[in-house]
Amino acid sequence: MFQKSLGFRIFFWTFIILIGFFAFFPQLWMISTSLKPETEMYKISFFQNFDLSNLNRILHNSDFLGYLRNGMMVAIISSLLSTAVSAFAGYSFSKFRYKGRTQVMAIILISQAFPQGLLLVSLYPMLQNMGMIDKLPSIILAYVALTLPIGTWTLKAYFDQIPNSIMEAACIDGASDFTTMIKIVMPLAFPGMTTIAIYSFVWAWNDLLYALTLISTTAKRTLASGMIFTFTGEGGNDWIGMMAASVIASIPVAIMFVFLQRFFVAGLTAGAVKG
Amino acid sequence: MKTISKNSTLMAWFLVLPALLIFALMILYPFANSIFTSFTNKNLIFPKNDFVGFENYIKLFKDPNTLPLLFTTIKFVFFSTICPFTLGLIWAILMNEKFKASEFMRGLTLVNWIIPGIAIGFLWNWIYNGDYGILNALLNKMGIIDSNIIWLAGKQTSMVAVVTARTWQMFPWYMAFIMGGLQGVPNELCEASRIDGANNIQVFTHIIIPTIKPVLILILILGTISNLQHFDLINVMTDGGPERATSTFAIEVYKKAFKEYNLGRAAALGVIWAILLGSFSFIYLRNLKEDN
Repeated sequence: MFQKSLGFRIFFWTFIILIGFFAFFPQLWMISTSLKPETEMYKISFFQNFDLSNLNRILHNSDFLGYLRNGMMVAIISSLLSTAVSAFAGYSFSKFRYKGRTQVMAIILISQAFPQGLLLVSLYPMLQNMGMIDKLPSIILAYVALTLPIGTWTLKAYFDQIPNSIMEAACIDGASDFTTMIKIVMPLAFPGMTTIAIYSFVWAWNDLLYALTLISTTAKRTLASGMIFTFTGEGGNDWIGMMAASVIASIPVAIMFVFLQRFFVAGLTAGAVKG
Repeated sequence: MKTISKNSTLMAWFLVLPALLIFALMILYPFANSIFTSFTNKNLIFPKNDFVGFENYIKLFKDPNTLPLLFTTIKFVFFSTICPFTLGLIWAILMNEKFKASEFMRGLTLVNWIIPGIAIGFLWNWIYNGDYGILNALLNKMGIIDSNIIWLAGKQTSMVAVVTARTWQMFPWYMAFIMGGLQGVPNELCEASRIDGANNIQVFTHIIIPTIKPVLILILILGTISNLQHFDLINVMTDGGPERATSTFAIEVYKKAFKEYNLGRAAALGVIWAILLGSFSFIYLRNLKEDN
């Protein structure tokens, strides 16, 4: 695309160093700090004296283990539910024509712009009346709802690419509408469904606002909100512990991402562009 | 096209039903109800819930903190969109050069975007720490400063700190979109214009930018919307402080509702926030329509 002129080389090397440092040094600093012995917390050292005791300490903290367990459970259930619900709705939007279809699609899309804080102003009293405050199902439902817009629109775009002739052929062979969808069309949209599964998992795993607001007991906290409470007050200066917890919190999403990044990124960008 | 029989219409609605129910319960109803709440004095602790007309809005209008809140939000959103956008554009161009480590580096950059905001907030709190942070240590060593800066406690520096962290988190996302756009740039056209004597900058401004312009506009709009919603990093790093210097709508509405328990006032502020977000989403929708 570009000619490898002297000017371009200078541009290339300047920014590869500057942005590269900005992007990667903090990552390394987080890992390096998490591996320091506690006595060296305030010493400016970089990957000297490895010490796994702090990672160990966090992993043996029973509260933190609870956050991890709750977080994992909430993220997995949200992810599966969101993918299934989005796939059904996306399929309906893509393969059927009926009154009200475009209106429903439009309002689901627009809802992304509803401020989440404003929703919580009503969600909290509503869930309180239903006896659902401080219950994990309520945040799971919230995550499913919040990931629905991207989910349905992305999957609709995937289903759009699958020719109707495939469905018609199945129909002629005597398969019902439902079997055609589950056994023939959905497997073809597998990359799209994986994208949405990861997207919803990451959303639920990373969310702070809803967990902070709707969950109030330590035993039920998920990762992000739990970490806030672990490291405020007395824990506020435990930087090594904080970095160790951050590394542990980042590992599941980072690993998942490394393996699946290729079609995850392609899937998300395609969904947003095609909308 | 599928035949539109009564049966398949039934099936179509049956398939949307779960989505619609969850959506109505968790998003549509709360949204509508919050608009209603903004005209009441509803409180999270005291059992009052009376209609008060426009009182909440009038109080907000008279509140000397409202206008600065709007400016702070705009400042945060503007810089948190433009900075990662610029870095993302440059980084996409570099990663598009397909050198040996480019794929690995691209994946590693995207880690910033995927990890929890809380971890990012903690990390930058630690980097910016006034007494023991690595940033002050580096700047001291290079002789740029001679006394430590308490970054998160300064009115100006706290905003810089929050925007930096947000930039670090989001520039890989912009990069991913821009790299997708760059794949659509016709290489033959670049070669041809080079033969006609165009240099890199001309190729960039006359061929590459026009080709990827739809993507650039799209991510600027989506980025703006997501920054208008952003809560995590500010909450973890400054909680809107010092003296509201980093307090945006997302932080303020949360505090009004769940720290001051004033749901009515929070809702009114949230409605103003929704209008702000709505206008950007309108641009997004119009943009989508033009594309199709």
